[in-house]
Amino acid sequence: MIRVEGLSVNYGAVRALRSVSFEAPSGQITAVVGANGAGKTTLLRTISGLVSPQSGTIHLDEVSLLGLATEKIARLGVGHVPEGRGVIEELTVEQNLRLGALSSKVNLAEGLEEQYARFPVLGDRQRKYCATLSGGERQMLAMARALIAKPQVLLLDEPSLGLAPQVTAQLMKAIRQLCETQDLTVILVEQNAKSALRIAHQALVLHLGSVVASGDAATVAADEDLRRYYLGVAVS
Amino acid sequence: MDWFLSLTRQETTHSRLIAMAFLTVLTLVITFFLPPVADSQLAGGAAIAIVVLGLSWLTGWSGQISLGNSGFMAVGAYAAGIWAHHHASTPLVFTFVLAIVFGGISGLIIAIPSTRLRGPYLAGMTLAFSAAVTPLAQNFTSVTGGEGGLFMNSLVTPRWFLHFFSGPNAAINASAQWSADLAVVVAGVMFFFMANLFHSRTGRAMRLVRDNDVAAELMGVNLARTRTTAFVVSAAYAGLGGALYSLLQASVRPETFPIGLSITLLTLMVLGGIGTLSGAVIGGIIYSFSANLVAHVNSLTGVNPTSNVGANMQGIIFSVLLILTMLFAPRGIVSLQYPLRRLFRARPATPTPKDVHL
Amino acid sequence: MSVFLSSPFMHNIFAGLAQGIIYSLVALSLVIIWQSTHVLNFAQGAMAMIATYIGMTEIDRGIGYWWCVIISVLVGMALGGVTERVLIRPLYGKPEINPIVVMVGFLGFLEALAAAIWTSTTRNITEPFSQIYFKSNGHLVFLSSFIIFQIVLAMGIMLSVAALFRFTKLGLQLRASALAPEVSRLLGVRVSRMLTIGWILSAGVGAIAAVIIASGNFGLFPTDMDGIFVASFIAAAVGGLESPLGAVAGGLIIGLAEQFILAYWSPDVAPLGGIIILVVALMIRPQGLFTKNTIRRV
Ligand SMILES: Nc1ncnc2c1ncn2[C@@H]1O[C@H](COP(=O)(O)OP(=O)(O)OP(=O)(O)O)[C@@H](O)[C@H]1O
Ligand SMILES: [Mg+2]
Repeated sequence: MIRVEGLSVNYGAVRALRSVSFEAPSGQITAVVGANGAGKTTLLRTISGLVSPQSGTIHLDEVSLLGLATEKIARLGVGHVPEGRGVIEELTVEQNLRLGALSSKVNLAEGLEEQYARFPVLGDRQRKYCATLSGGERQMLAMARALIAKPQVLLLDEPSLGLAPQVTAQLMKAIRQLCETQDLTVILVEQNAKSALRIAHQALVLHLGSVVASGDAATVAADEDLRRYYLGVAVS
Repeated sequence: MDWFLSLTRQETTHSRLIAMAFLTVLTLVITFFLPPVADSQLAGGAAIAIVVLGLSWLTGWSGQISLGNSGFMAVGAYAAGIWAHHHASTPLVFTFVLAIVFGGISGLIIAIPSTRLRGPYLAGMTLAFSAAVTPLAQNFTSVTGGEGGLFMNSLVTPRWFLHFFSGPNAAINASAQWSADLAVVVAGVMFFFMANLFHSRTGRAMRLVRDNDVAAELMGVNLARTRTTAFVVSAAYAGLGGALYSLLQASVRPETFPIGLSITLLTLMVLGGIGTLSGAVIGGIIYSFSANLVAHVNSLTGVNPTSNVGANMQGIIFSVLLILTMLFAPRGIVSLQYPLRRLFRARPATPTPKDVHL
Repeated sequence: MSVFLSSPFMHNIFAGLAQGIIYSLVALSLVIIWQSTHVLNFAQGAMAMIATYIGMTEIDRGIGYWWCVIISVLVGMALGGVTERVLIRPLYGKPEINPIVVMVGFLGFLEALAAAIWTSTTRNITEPFSQIYFKSNGHLVFLSSFIIFQIVLAMGIMLSVAALFRFTKLGLQLRASALAPEVSRLLGVRVSRMLTIGWILSAGVGAIAAVIIASGNFGLFPTDMDGIFVASFIAAAVGGLESPLGAVAGGLIIGLAEQFILAYWSPDVAPLGGIIILVVALMIRPQGLFTKNTIRRV
């Protein structure tokens, strides 16, 4: 479980987050949606300790994450698939996966086997350099690399970016399944509000750094005003 | 310091000319009151200040760093030295122009392959150049005189100047002071040119390139040409400074231009303050008094100046100063004026200058 | 065959390779630091020199050759780690000129310090292997046990470094930290520790080069490594600063080129050899002869 209270982040004069509070329970997907520049990426980066907040608190269960180094937070079980995937192109698929497993106590061979079973295409490409992977393959690798460490929390920043609609749908289904079977806390940032809200349990709508709505995903998805004014979804 | 800084920051060529002339004359007056030893130190400092100014322009204004300016100094010094060795009676101005031209050409040769390089690559490339110069001078004995170097006797004290002096050491005193005055005048002229260059179109283009080369290119600045110009000017200043320095010593020798000299130049530039006229002046002053400073430290710490430690004290002090300045006050001594000004004046705080981009 | 081996041509080949392998070692050490922290360590040669001087002081106290090698390398590694923590760490994120200036200052400091403590005269270690050239059927072959030792040691070090980067967990983390520091941190890699380890490793490799030089015919003096640094920088830059293999190849090329210019052209212009090679190489491929990617911010 991740609990965020009164989180504010400034980049110089830009106020990227303004007193954001929410709770992401385990075993559930919490979708964070909002327009470009709403502060979604900033929220995830702050949880991971890459950005330090002006005020507020962040807790993983009962542990405060505030002021901890990014690598420490990762070792506590927070997996983060960054915006743009962060696959290291100069390394092979397997090396990327190894890197993901390094900081946890999981058995490397078993972990690799598990991920190759989950994403068979990665098994086929084991020894390929990541520069040769397609966008979808990279996304799978980024997910697998985060999952191999058996995290408690998974932060996903726009996993559907650049993927075909069918692939996105598959991916979303896989995320939902993972979350429920492994009791993961998933925070899912998405541009594509529609598909995110469809699979999420809970939702958080950010607008210019403030939370303008939160609650049950289905309720948020059904709210005409939210859809029109904040999510940019055409009213059908 | 304050009045001096405000003088050199004048806006028009005319007022800059007056400011530089005033400062030069003031320094000339001071030389009359200095003993001959101090006069020689001052002369050396003036020559080095010219080189430091050229380096400071390159680093502070165009954002390029060079460890090759000791090499450019050597080129200028040998150009002047070889000529003056064979043609002792040539007017000095001609010898100086020769040094500037040859220094500039060597800068051009190094700049052409280097302008595509940045930061560390450029620094390494220029270091390779200055490392090659000394062995070359040693090898081409027939031209350069090899290890022993060449002797010149160009700085002859004019008759009329001797009239100011009397007593048993009149000739020596006059000669020391004439050299110092000459060096100060040459430095004054070079500082005046640089003050104008700072404010010229080239100077402005240079800062644009330094701060954001992509934007500069979009605005129509030719990057390669701007960077090359910066290099050529810097090398020309080094060439002249090197020639002046050697003429003051009445000889040019390979050992005057080791790689260590490039480190000294860097230290003087950083200590004074990168990219400013006053920083280069301070660098020259520090150089003038470095021998005294080292002697002082040696006597304070009880180190025998002829011992190993004593002989290397200057290297140790300078390099430690360079590191500490870069880590803790990268804008150099010049920047000390701002907290001081704030202390002594109730006026609104002076905005910190954008001159130094560090 | 033995006539061929003892020809002047082969003499130049052997001498060039023996010198070149030293450049390769130092170039490799420069590349390790460059990759991890994007600093060109101008004090690399001087750090190796000081480490070897300390090792040599111990040999004066009667320790054996191999102990001297080990002490020099350990001192070099310690110096590398401390340098990164104290001098380089405060400068991350600052303009690239700042670390250059600081390391040039450190170079001056170490050289002055060494001359202050040990004088600027040459010192050397009694070599463990003979420097006398082999003879085959009465013909001199321009190889000695020492040259072979030098080449084997250098190759051994380089292969170990390659193996470390390729096959170990530490190597993987070092590479990842250099390639993508932020992503590595998100994966739990202690990146700042990796940067220090990179410097430690690099300084150790550099120290080996200085030990070899000190054991050779001509010994080591405080500013001796300046020339080695310049040649090795050229080697690394020819290879592209990013490529360990390129650095090693570059070192051999520079070593051979220097030797052949010396022998077949004119010893007078030999000092310019390195620069000419660098200029030509940069004209052909500004991103380095051995780098894969074509765009590089230099
Ligand atoms: N490093 C930074 N420095 C300054 N401002 C930043 C920085 N990163 C983000 N911002 C600003 O903070 C605000 C929030 O940015 P953020 O990246 O969190 O948005 P986002 O919701 O992830 O947008 P997108 O959907 O486009 O990814 C934006 O106005 C952005 O310009
Ligand atoms: Mg974003």
